[in-house]
Amino acid sequence: MPAREIKKNVFAVGAIDWDRRLFDELIPLPDGTSYNAYLVRGKEKTALIDTVDPSKTAELIRHLQNLKETSIDYIISHHAEQDHSGSIPDILEMYPEARVVTNEKCKSLLIDLLPIAENRFLTVGEGSVLSLGGKTLEFIMAPWVHWPETMFTYLAEDRILFSCDFLGAHLAQSDPILLDEPRGYKAAKRYYAEIMMPFRAQIRKHLDRLQGMAIDMIAPSHGAVYPRPEFILQAYRDWVSDRVANKALIPFVSMHGSTRRMVEHLCEGLTAGGVEAIPFNMIRTDIGEFALEMVDAATLVIGSSMVLAGPHPAMVLAAYLANALRPKTKFAAIIGSYGWGGRMMESLQGMLTNFKAEMLDPVFIKGHPREADFQALDRLADAISGRHRDIGIL
Amino acid sequence: MNRFVCTICGYVYDPKTGDPDSGIAAGTSFDDLPETWVCPICGAGKEVFELTD
Repeated sequence: MPAREIKKNVFAVGAIDWDRRLFDELIPLPDGTSYNAYLVRGKEKTALIDTVDPSKTAELIRHLQNLKETSIDYIISHHAEQDHSGSIPDILEMYPEARVVTNEKCKSLLIDLLPIAENRFLTVGEGSVLSLGGKTLEFIMAPWVHWPETMFTYLAEDRILFSCDFLGAHLAQSDPILLDEPRGYKAAKRYYAEIMMPFRAQIRKHLDRLQGMAIDMIAPSHGAVYPRPEFILQAYRDWVSDRVANKALIPFVSMHGSTRRMVEHLCEGLTAGGVEAIPFNMIRTDIGEFALEMVDAATLVIGSSMVLAGPHPAMVLAAYLANALRPKTKFAAIIGSYGWGGRMMESLQGMLTNFKAEMLDPVFIKGHPREADFQALDRLADAISGRHRDIGIL
Repeated sequence: MNRFVCTICGYVYDPKTGDPDSGIAAGTSFDDLPETWVCPICGAGKEVFELTD
């Protein structure tokens, strides 16, 4: 794959990982991913913006060699995580004159994570400027999207914002520029759900900050470059807003069918009441799909069987993720069934410490659901549709 | 005195208890915490804290 010019003297030199299917040993990657690095050539100096995952170092080097890049003065490091920083030591070896340009916090993390000598760094802060000659890089500190050291670079002459993981997507595509917005939207929403959602409050500040800037192109560190910045900025404004959708997510697991019958009955009640019901069997569900729906669903109902006197481990994962990702869910409930006893409710409730949602009455039954249990589920469905009406989404 | 929540990890700073592990005595208001103070759970700075109930 040749390096590709996205603007005059600005090249995409990163790597595409077509067949990677799992990230962080946690997140499924249905569309693969990319590790984007960009080379910016000024009249006097050359800068490399981020590097690639160490598994793809050879591809980055090949791109630099194809461009006959004999000198790199600066390696801009936006984020210390190894999928972007992991090739820095090799690039420093190839270009002995190069300095790693980053903020103090990122420098300290890079030294912790990688073998980089302290004297190879040049530290910058909010508003620092680096001139390459006809190409001016301005640095914007952007902590917590999604680590404390993250930052952006703005290339003033070309009005390109290099936004690191922020606004990115796990998407492998041969063209560096986004070709298909609906496909890009889903990949970016999924990425937001998995990586960015816990930092809504910080993201709002960054979006406000970017509002006043003239940006023609956004070049993130995963996925494709956005030639129409408003497309992704508007999507993010929507996701971080307090608006929720008329949807009830029902992650569940059922060992012998009782919880499944409860979930099916609840789905019917919700549908009849005008609420979109989205059940996820957590044994078969791609957790990214579950996270994606949590971006804007108004209600979450956790359905679990009991095993080993507690919640099924698959539901422990679901509850843990819901709590850690801190979605804007407004209403929640727990339903489930058990054979002989245990502390499932207490365990699941105890895991939702960050959860701001109003907890609705649980439905917790022994054995298979009977008439009174179905009525309790009907009451839960009514309570959910009533709450959705109260907040004006139904 | 007002309590403040860390928007990164959900830790709540309560002036009633302070943060003894970081040398912050009970009764210290959030405003009086030194600018170098960080969330004892996740290490985020004061700027990410928000007023809570």
